[in-house]
Amino acid sequence: MYGIAALQPYVIGLFLLWAALMKLLDRRMRAQAGQTALGRLVGSARAVLALRLVGVLELAVAITLLLPPALPVEGAAAAVLSTGFLVYLTYAHLAAPTSSCGCLGAHSRPVNWRGFARAGLLLAMSLVAVRARLYPVDPWLVVLGLAEAVALLGLSAELDRHWLMPLRRLLVRLRKPLAAPSPQEIPLEVTMRLLYRSPAYCSASAQLTSDVQDVWDEDGLRFVVYAAGGRTAVFAVPLPGGDPSAVRVALTDEPALI
Amino acid sequence: MTSRRQLLKSAVLGGGAGVVAATALGSLGPEAAFGAAAPDVEPGAPDPDFAEGRIRSIKDNTLLVLGSNMVFHNIRVVDGTSLWKLGPTTFDQAKPGDGLYARGVRMPDGVLAAESVWLNIVNIKGHVSNITSEKIHLDHKGQEVLCHRVAGKSIAVYSDAPPSADLSLLRVGQHVQILGAWRPDTNEVDIATVFSPH
Repeated sequence: MYGIAALQPYVIGLFLLWAALMKLLDRRMRAQAGQTALGRLVGSARAVLALRLVGVLELAVAITLLLPPALPVEGAAAAVLSTGFLVYLTYAHLAAPTSSCGCLGAHSRPVNWRGFARAGLLLAMSLVAVRARLYPVDPWLVVLGLAEAVALLGLSAELDRHWLMPLRRLLVRLRKPLAAPSPQEIPLEVTMRLLYRSPAYCSASAQLTSDVQDVWDEDGLRFVVYAAGGRTAVFAVPLPGGDPSAVRVALTDEPALI
Repeated sequence: MTSRRQLLKSAVLGGGAGVVAATALGSLGPEAAFGAAAPDVEPGAPDPDFAEGRIRSIKDNTLLVLGSNMVFHNIRVVDGTSLWKLGPTTFDQAKPGDGLYARGVRMPDGVLAAESVWLNIVNIKGHVSNITSEKIHLDHKGQEVLCHRVAGKSIAVYSDAPPSADLSLLRVGQHVQILGAWRPDTNEVDIATVFSPH
């Protein structure tokens, strides 16, 4: 138990150090500070100042956690900071549900369960860290520390583009979930795109008063029928498609179906 | 229906042309072109010939629709009305709960005689956050929208290339615009067209 407690200050400290350095040094984060929930909380004019203050606070806590001696007050400070994160996330979720939290990097995703889980995990680790004493290094503790770090990073949506997106791309490449369908009927929308680009449609579109009324395929042509005022517009589109100028049109006095 | 189709077919194959003949459009004089009645809708005022909302009930051929501004519309659907629900469809596919946009002619009794009705049509932009079997997970401003491929209907338009039924070139992380039909009261959409910038 003391071993686990002794481990926590280092994991929390490194994580807070990263968060602080991002806030203090990342130009993109500063540029977007006004759009985050922090900007909503303190006003976008003071968002950058608030961001820097939080960064300095995180840096101070991180340094005291990482440097010996291990004192209970350091864990308590981290716990207070984590509680502050949770309160801030709750505020962001309620007051600015479309804003990002501006926690660890610039991105535009709003606060979700992962943000809460990350702050909750930090709080739990901080509470354990209150009991930290000097303790010899143990391989199991290193494994546990790495697991905690992976959990914290995995819950950080800011890092998704570095691992989650490439992973999903790889899975899509392997599984091909949208593999090309076997050639069957030509979807109507393919014909419609060709129709919209045809001189026939452009010359008649001002007359059309409805959307597609009727469609059927016959003799390698697709017939598309529209109402055109009191009349009817009928288009004949070659089914294999390709050349929009091959589309033919007739406006007939065959009354519309009304 | 068949005889009407034959009639229309012979019209377009017999007398059809690559463009509508100018005379078919009426007078060519400038007074006709500029004299066309301007729509008598005040700027900013609601267009009386347009309605949007969700279907509350269906009685005979009339839809009772509650608009998003809490105004009720009676929309009459007739034989010549075009209906769209992921493609041209028939009146029996309209269900209470469906969202719609309708355009037509406002009758003196306040009923909108619809020329076109689009059911559940949506147009959304976002990032592809994941692709799973037959589905695109769209991140639309932080909200997940599940977009289903419908065999024989869904197509993709990649930049300027001709449209195709092949959606497999879409990539996780890219930006897309999706035209489709919403599944009422869900975050799910059936795809009509995916527009991809590349």
